[in-house]
Amino acid sequence: MKFVVSSSELLSHLQAISRAISSKSQLPVLDCFLFDLKGTTLSITASDLEVTMTTSMETDSNDGDGKVALPSKMLLEILKKLPEQPLTIDVSMSSLVVDIISEKGKYNFVAQAGEDYPVIPGIDEDKASKLQVPTSLLLTGITKTLFATADDELRPVMNGILFEFSPNNLTFVASDSHKLVRYQRLDARSDFEASFILPKKPAGLLKNVLPRESGDVVIEFDHKNAFFNLPNYKLVCRLVEGNYPTYNAVIPQGNPNKAIVDRVDLANTLSRVSIFSNQASNLVKLHLSNDEMVVSAQDIDFSLSGFEKLKCQYEGDEMEIGFKSVFLSDILENISSGDIIIELSDPSRAAIVLPFDKNEDEDELMLIMPMMINA
Amino acid sequence: MISETTFQPDNRQIVHMDLDTFFVSVERLQNSSLNGKPVIIGGLSDRGVVAGCSYEARTFGVHSAMPMRMARQLCPQAVYIRGDMDAYSRYSRVVTDIIAEKVPVYEKASIDEHYLDLTGMDRYFGCYKFSHELRQTIVRETGLPISFGLSVNKTVSKIATGEAKRGPQRELYVEANRVRPFLNPLSISRIPMLGPKTFRLLRSMGIEKIETLSLVPPEMMERVLGKNGIDLWRKANGIDLTPVERYHERKSIGSEQTFETDTTDMRFLNEWVVRITERLAFELRCRHKLTACITVKIRYADFDTHTIQKRIPYTSFDHVLIREAKELLQRLYKRRVLVRLLGVRFTHLVSGSQQLNLFEDTPEQVNLYLAMDRIRKRFGKEAVGRAAGFY
Repeated sequence: MKFVVSSSELLSHLQAISRAISSKSQLPVLDCFLFDLKGTTLSITASDLEVTMTTSMETDSNDGDGKVALPSKMLLEILKKLPEQPLTIDVSMSSLVVDIISEKGKYNFVAQAGEDYPVIPGIDEDKASKLQVPTSLLLTGITKTLFATADDELRPVMNGILFEFSPNNLTFVASDSHKLVRYQRLDARSDFEASFILPKKPAGLLKNVLPRESGDVVIEFDHKNAFFNLPNYKLVCRLVEGNYPTYNAVIPQGNPNKAIVDRVDLANTLSRVSIFSNQASNLVKLHLSNDEMVVSAQDIDFSLSGFEKLKCQYEGDEMEIGFKSVFLSDILENISSGDIIIELSDPSRAAIVLPFDKNEDEDELMLIMPMMINA
Repeated sequence: MISETTFQPDNRQIVHMDLDTFFVSVERLQNSSLNGKPVIIGGLSDRGVVAGCSYEARTFGVHSAMPMRMARQLCPQAVYIRGDMDAYSRYSRVVTDIIAEKVPVYEKASIDEHYLDLTGMDRYFGCYKFSHELRQTIVRETGLPISFGLSVNKTVSKIATGEAKRGPQRELYVEANRVRPFLNPLSISRIPMLGPKTFRLLRSMGIEKIETLSLVPPEMMERVLGKNGIDLWRKANGIDLTPVERYHERKSIGSEQTFETDTTDMRFLNEWVVRITERLAFELRCRHKLTACITVKIRYADFDTHTIQKRIPYTSFDHVLIREAKELLQRLYKRRVLVRLLGVRFTHLVSGSQQLNLFEDTPEQVNLYLAMDRIRKRFGKEAVGRAAGFY
């Protein structure tokens, strides 16, 4: 098999999918990209068995089809160092010797047989569901929720984003049991009720590749795998098995205390005050009273303390509640609104953070669990 | 390891104050009929050890840390007292308060020992005079006998206190130029932190007096005893640069108990773990600490001792810690042999508050802990607890 490609175009395609390759792969062949040439179309696949990403590109070719696995590390390194130029890649299918012929020279190495590469799972048509959404919608859904996913080996369901499809909306949920994000899109509806949990890794890969794409993405899934078909990329991943906790039950309803505060002001205040918090617990306290919020922190061990006052609109009882400052600033960073509403009930119950300016098609809710302030 | 500082002389003024037979003295304050009688304090069961004994009892060969059963054989006529730790800490605190009032830099080394750094005070009072008056004040105000040694560093002061207790004066001043002559004739067993094993080893090398030890080349000490050897050699030469530190960070909290009778009753062991873990978790919360590592220790009847530990997310909640402790016990108790001792310990402590969990911690539970802690703070730590922990 022999074809000619632009070096930079090949590199950009390889880089987009290369993160699917695990640094500790289970099979040696998984350290490779699978090159599959059919006619003039070259499709390239990277996989770690859990996640598989495929991209395709046009090439100049006239020397027959073929399938071969090329070592990823070497290929990426040489392509990064080459200036833009057409490259001829010539693979001898019998000896698996690869020649890359550039303007000034020739590099060669040995490939692995394409047949050794694991087969990408196909969809189980009987149990499959399908939905088409704009790429921008999927991107926002993932970006809004990915930061809240957990890193808990014991509870794998928490290490992913829950996608819930219903005739009313599409819901993205993520939680590490200290914070929770629920992002609903009313403009993406399906005629069925279904859900799956997308693991962290493919979610991160999608987050990287989606900004390059425009148009629609087709999401197909069965009970085992999900397939994301983008115009230039295709991602297949194994879903997390198990049931997501009933998140709606833990969202407190009817919170009597409400504060409206400028998001950026609060985030900046928090970033300053948290320097004076205990490094291990990271506790900051919010004291809410009439139209004023006092953000304070202290570290008794090192005799540090700090506080700042902040204007806010507050309706409710005077109260003090403690949060881990990194969690709170994560939430403030990921909510998109000038002003935010913080809803509270009591210092041992979750606080709800909502955007003040709402889009018609969006329903965004973030929740943060407080820290116990010993009385 | 042998640097310039190894040979640096000290010119500080450090006092070591030690309450004489502290536990016995407290008991005698409360019951004067104990005066002049041999008194032994410690766990009363056969498994107990002697925690403190009067000088009268010591003449029979009784000493602290001796098994109670042996003490009974040596001195059957002694008065045996269970001991009241709360009262002892109360009296200890009174002594600390008197010292804190007069001395800026002090260290409470144990329930009956204090180190005082008087460096610089000689310009105003004379350190010996000051210490003497402080000792008088403590004796007058608390009624507890106390001895002190004053010298250039903690080690020499502590050895001096030991010597002071033998004399009627109960105080001893070892000036900087008299440190070597003072130490030289003493037995090496007087050096603090020199245990019976090291003592035997050094004796077998022909070292009996501190003078001999101070003449051993430090390189040789390092070869024989490692880093510890250099420390010992330094102490023998009257060199100890450790400062008097006012505050020590607690690195762990834990508790262990030798049972009245050895047992294989798993239910009993589990109940014990519940009770102790609950009590320790309460202590954690009182100190505003969280733990990230829990250790369970088991000692079988044949003294075969095992521990197992586990890292956990920072917490101070009973239900999490009890669950982990029970699981560790389950994994640890493998031999079908009688259990003599169990222990639970929390390490990797940080100060801070508990981060609540969305799916596990309900507000009801959090409020329950707060309420239980309030009850315990008001009515004592045994006032309320899990039913499994009562028997």
